[in-house]
Amino acid sequence: MRIIRMASQALQAMKDNKVRSFLMMLGVIIGVATLTIITSSVMGARSQVMSRVERFGLDQIMVMAGAGRKPGVPQPTPTTLKVEDANAVLSEISNVKDVTPQINRRDIPIKYQNKNSYAVIVATNPNWSEIWNTQAENGRFLNESEVARLSRVAVIGQTLVNDLFEGEDPVGKQINVANNPFEIIGVLEKKGSSPTGLDLDSRLIIPLTTGMKRVFNQDYITNIKIVVNDTSRMGDTVNDVKMLLRERHNLAPGVEDDFTIVTPTLVMALASKVASTFSIFLILVSLVSLVVGAVVIANIMFISVNERKSEIGIRRAVGATKKDVLAQFLIESVTVSALGGLIGAVLGVITLNLLSTFSKMQSGAILMPIIIAITCAIIVGLLAGIQPARKASNLDPIEALK
Amino acid sequence: MINVQNLSKVFNKDGVEVEVLKDINLTIEKGEFVSIMAPSGMGKSTFLNILGCLDKPSSGSYTLDGSPVQNMEDDELSQVRNSKLGYVFQSFHLLPRMTAWENVILPLIYSDDDSDMKEKAVEVLNSVGLGDRINHLPRELSGGQQQRVAIARALINNPRIIFADEPTGNLDSSSSAEVMDIFRTLHAQGRTLVVVTHDPDVGSQADRMIEMKDGRISSDRPTRSLSEENAK
Repeated sequence: MRIIRMASQALQAMKDNKVRSFLMMLGVIIGVATLTIITSSVMGARSQVMSRVERFGLDQIMVMAGAGRKPGVPQPTPTTLKVEDANAVLSEISNVKDVTPQINRRDIPIKYQNKNSYAVIVATNPNWSEIWNTQAENGRFLNESEVARLSRVAVIGQTLVNDLFEGEDPVGKQINVANNPFEIIGVLEKKGSSPTGLDLDSRLIIPLTTGMKRVFNQDYITNIKIVVNDTSRMGDTVNDVKMLLRERHNLAPGVEDDFTIVTPTLVMALASKVASTFSIFLILVSLVSLVVGAVVIANIMFISVNERKSEIGIRRAVGATKKDVLAQFLIESVTVSALGGLIGAVLGVITLNLLSTFSKMQSGAILMPIIIAITCAIIVGLLAGIQPARKASNLDPIEALK
Repeated sequence: MINVQNLSKVFNKDGVEVEVLKDINLTIEKGEFVSIMAPSGMGKSTFLNILGCLDKPSSGSYTLDGSPVQNMEDDELSQVRNSKLGYVFQSFHLLPRMTAWENVILPLIYSDDDSDMKEKAVEVLNSVGLGDRINHLPRELSGGQQQRVAIARALINNPRIIFADEPTGNLDSSSSAEVMDIFRTLHAQGRTLVVVTHDPDVGSQADRMIEMKDGRISSDRPTRSLSEENAK
């Protein structure tokens, strides 16, 4: 096949000029390496966001006590959100299917015999398990009578089991939670880390009433999770919840909310915002280096066409058509660029692996970014090579042979 | 084989038109060994380039092997150069980074022949006495050897006509003699040879010598060697 013979001529020219070929590749290598890293991490971030939203629940609204964090300003614990608010939301807003109020407290010391650990205490109702999609896999979750009787029972996460029990079955054991004796009735399924880095398996779940009256002695709660019936009316429902809570908290018009409502769309937006700002910057960087790569390839190809005038003349004299010469130079620039792309993709993957080893950055699928990167490299090679190749093919053989 | 009618070539040099070839008429039959002699810069290379389908005449007609060349498209000319013609240049024009056999197969790359290229190259290199140099780079060969590689390249597609532009111009006398020996062998095989030279010793080894002056053919006659041979 003529085209295969032509390709082998192009490859030989690359091999004969290793330094030149490497210089041509350099820009593409850098561009493709960054592009691989970016696409992979953007895809990773996106799938992270999606899984976070799924975990949050597409039919759920979260109401958090307080106006939301303001950077740099220490804020008192908000005390305005009450269990009664949760009940009112459930009874007064028609689109609300279920609510679960809860109190969260971090770094509560817990003790079993002579072993100590720290837990995130969640004081809540039995429907928490279903709404937060977290089951007890050993033993059982809280029930209504325990809430009614302010029972000192707890369901604990796997990290706490490991810290305190070392292979012992924790169900039925007595532990000490902030100096109150509690009986363990179940162990939560493993959940890993939250996106913010909180160990979800260090949670200890107790009845809401027990938490309010016996452990923390408080009448306010941390947040309310609301499940809606009809997700298409999510926006209206969010508004209803907001109006109801403002009314119940006697907030005058113009006064800031003393609670924060988080919806799935908001979660998605927040989570992708950081990733997208970062990736826009990096995409620019990689585009610039791809453009630089293309310019470098084009320049070196032009120089190479000038240097190889007599070669082109000889080839034309022995029967190469203009197309043959064009093809040879294009194959050369595309191959150089594609090879640079391949090297860049490999470097990118290595960097991604290093990054995910040393940081918590998640990377997504590898194959797709590599395909994107190498496609980009081939396009760069084509665009950069076309003009020099045309110049080569249009050389007058007689001029070229002089 | 070659028929040229009223052929002229005009170059435009810095706005001044220079007529290098003027109204040339020439016929070369199949199997002839022709030398074209002229002092340097008198248009003989231009004439050879036109005959070799590397350049086009400004006016006039050129028929090669029955086909009118002046009407051919670039691709057709490439095809003709590849299959019907072989070139030998004064400065060899080998690709410096390629070995002898890789240089020799160049025309095969642009032909539709899919046979084993290296095998063919070795065969042709053997025929010009370079069978033991197939893997040498041009810089590892003497001038005469390089020219023989160039001849092997010209022969690889088995062309009917060989054009040589000052083939011995860069060679010492013994290498020149070798090259001319090869040419005579090719002639004996029935090929048509057209050699351009300014060297009377080379020109006189052809059967027919054409002399050019001021862009015109000034004389066209059988050489003495031929007439002597005929006389015997």
